[in-house]
Amino acid sequence: MVNNILEIKNLTKKFGNFTAVDNITLSVREGEIFGFLGPNGAGKTTTISMLTTLITPTGGTATIAGHDLKDEGADIRSIIGVVPQSFSLFPELTAQENLTYIGKLYGMDIKKIIERSEYLLKQMRLYEHKDRVSGEFSGGMKQRLSLAASIMSNPKILFMDEPTTGLDPQSRIAIRELTEELNRQGMTIIYTTHDMEEAEKICHRIVIMDRGKVIADGTSDELKHKIMSGHIVEVELDSEPKELSSELKQLPFVVAVHHSGRLINITVKRKEGVFFALSEFFRKRGLSVEEIRYKEPSLEEVFITLTKKDLRD
Amino acid sequence: MAKIKEEKEKLIDFKKIGAIIQKNFIVMTRDRIRLLPLLLFPIVMILVLGFTSGNSPKHIPAAIVSYDNSEMAQNIQQQIYDSQTFTVRYLVSTEDEARKLLDSGKVGVIIEIPPKLEENILNNVPTQIIVIVDESDAAVSATSSQTLGVIINNAASSITLQKIREYQQSVDYAASSLGSFASTQRNQYDLIAQETAIASGYLDNAQVLNKKYTDSLTSSIPSSTAIVIPLNSSIGYKNTTANLSNSDVIYAESSIALQAKGQVASMQKSGALISAASSAVHAAQSVATQASKNQQLIQRNYDSEVVESLVTIRLFTKSSAENILRPLSVENKPAYGSGLKAIDFLIPSLIAMTIFQGAVMGMGRSVAGEKREGSLTRVFLTPTSNITIIIGTLSFYIFFELVRAAFLLIFSIVVFHITIQGNLLLIALILAMFIIISTSIGMIISSLVKTEQQFTAMAMLVSLPTMFLSGVFFPIQSMPKVMQSISNFLPITYAANALRGVMVKALPIQMIAYPLFILLVFLIITTTLVLTVFKRNIE
Repeated sequence: MVNNILEIKNLTKKFGNFTAVDNITLSVREGEIFGFLGPNGAGKTTTISMLTTLITPTGGTATIAGHDLKDEGADIRSIIGVVPQSFSLFPELTAQENLTYIGKLYGMDIKKIIERSEYLLKQMRLYEHKDRVSGEFSGGMKQRLSLAASIMSNPKILFMDEPTTGLDPQSRIAIRELTEELNRQGMTIIYTTHDMEEAEKICHRIVIMDRGKVIADGTSDELKHKIMSGHIVEVELDSEPKELSSELKQLPFVVAVHHSGRLINITVKRKEGVFFALSEFFRKRGLSVEEIRYKEPSLEEVFITLTKKDLRD
Repeated sequence: MAKIKEEKEKLIDFKKIGAIIQKNFIVMTRDRIRLLPLLLFPIVMILVLGFTSGNSPKHIPAAIVSYDNSEMAQNIQQQIYDSQTFTVRYLVSTEDEARKLLDSGKVGVIIEIPPKLEENILNNVPTQIIVIVDESDAAVSATSSQTLGVIINNAASSITLQKIREYQQSVDYAASSLGSFASTQRNQYDLIAQETAIASGYLDNAQVLNKKYTDSLTSSIPSSTAIVIPLNSSIGYKNTTANLSNSDVIYAESSIALQAKGQVASMQKSGALISAASSAVHAAQSVATQASKNQQLIQRNYDSEVVESLVTIRLFTKSSAENILRPLSVENKPAYGSGLKAIDFLIPSLIAMTIFQGAVMGMGRSVAGEKREGSLTRVFLTPTSNITIIIGTLSFYIFFELVRAAFLLIFSIVVFHITIQGNLLLIALILAMFIIISTSIGMIISSLVKTEQQFTAMAMLVSLPTMFLSGVFFPIQSMPKVMQSISNFLPITYAANALRGVMVKALPIQMIAYPLFILLVFLIITTTLVLTVFKRNIE
């Protein structure tokens, strides 16, 4: 039996006339990596800020590990960790001092602080830099230190607000790996990103947000199939063929055909027997097939279909 | 992995306050580039103000434009030449010429003597000597006006003094004229007296003659005796006027008698004689009487009253001349012992101002900076109460500013040999109150803004009036009423007053109760405001 560690009901945040978060309802299960996906300004950060007690909701409720957001902010703060969008470090302090300070603000005793910070500095591969001031760190190092600071208190639930934005590819991979590692150790992670690939790779479940509203949720596969009425078969030939669209459309399972050089995308009604039938079709016409495969729709395509706009706008 | 037990949030958590203080201490000491100016700023201020205050600029290169050639204008020019404040480099005839010199930096000040200067001053028409200065140097401007004010006053009063001397001379002349007139009158009186005496002689002769002829008449004509008798009893020098008519009667009646007796010829001879004597007596008598009256009057007036009033006038003119001159001589009297210097009065204001600037800017900017860095957000994300965060942050800056104030005091004592008269604990109390107010103001401002830039802009609104109304740069008493009333709303006014009272005048606590009370009110208001505006909510 899996418990919901986070329950959100009709959560709303208005800034004057502008509704940043519009009546969202969702739940997050304990132990999952839950992704908030959406373009900039979709309301992801506002949602996170409300859930982490930094801003007060205009309406709706939420409970985190059984604590009510409205009345038990202090309790919530003691069981959550947050990796904010900016690095949010004290640049004048060393890596060790940053962690020590945060540990003290969590009320940890000094023995625990030393133990935990050493463990985290090693885990984040920052141990040899522990006595350097964090202001001198690279972006990737700062983000790893920020992550370490956020989990000093070993929180039950970790909010990560676009943790990879602005980092180099290596650092992004490192952060992703660390996130998965923490999750394997049992931490529930709420992860916001506008990177489809990233969400697809690490999130167990995803909500897509746009203009303050949740427009879809589910696993990556569920989201993809929500928008697909068929399957796409991509055929790669060894040479560029003449126009075959009308002939292909005569096949009973073919819905649509899209030519592009040696690549032909064929939308089919069903998967059964399709590969064999298509192979026969090309062989008969003296065309040799180099590769034939199903093409999965990307999350990006899902998003564009749902929001009618490019994610990176 | 070890589970860390959930930490409940305490309202005031001293361990966390300690952590915040320690963190701020590390931040402060590590950022040397920031620390250095924070410590050096007040020292530079003290050095600059300490060595410049009381020392007005000297030998300011000046150009004179004079549109008046009167004695006074020349006098003023001469005084400008003679003054230590100015070194007159150019004497030009138009303002334009002078302005070119100012533009090119050849002179720092233009002194323009307006047309009809003397005439206007003597007629009490408001007159201004125009001073045109390079505005970039406020000290030059202030000193120039001040020096010229003294010069023009000197000039005006020396003219007045001269006028008074002239007046005195004419009074003296008038007195001597009156004296000589009086002596003339006296001579005249003497003459009249002589004439009267002669007239009296004549009258005596006339009486003798009259008697002679009366006797001869009595013997010849007995009827006339009755008429002549009254004459004997009424002739006299003093009653000349009254007797004159009697003489006429005598003459007439004796003429009739002589006619009647037929001795006309001899009687006519004696009648003419009497008549001549009588009219001489009459004239002499009337002149003498009038002269006597006049003489008495003149003598009374000029010998006593006039001479007395002359003395009074002389005394008056002398003293008023001195009175007019006296206000111009500036006299410096130390009010609180003789060992005090201008710097002793300056240091309390300067410390107050420096603390205010340091506390508002330093702590405010650090909070605004942490807001920008997001590190404040991270603190907000921990189970630490607002009050704990506020107390922790304020405590460090209060401590830091106290150290800075102490540093400043020691520096002032060592370098400027200032003397602290009052109770050190009382000084610390005033400083602590003012520091809490100042840091709170910094925290209030930083709570209301989102960026450091916004903070700087907002802080300027508070810190600039505080700086200029602190009395460090300009004395508050010489400011316009409006500015003075603004200063009533600034905590620095009371802090500086209280500090000055204790440091310079060694006042006991009850004597500074009023400023202390107002500071307490400020303290309550500002700390309450901090608690209301400093929120977790980072909208």
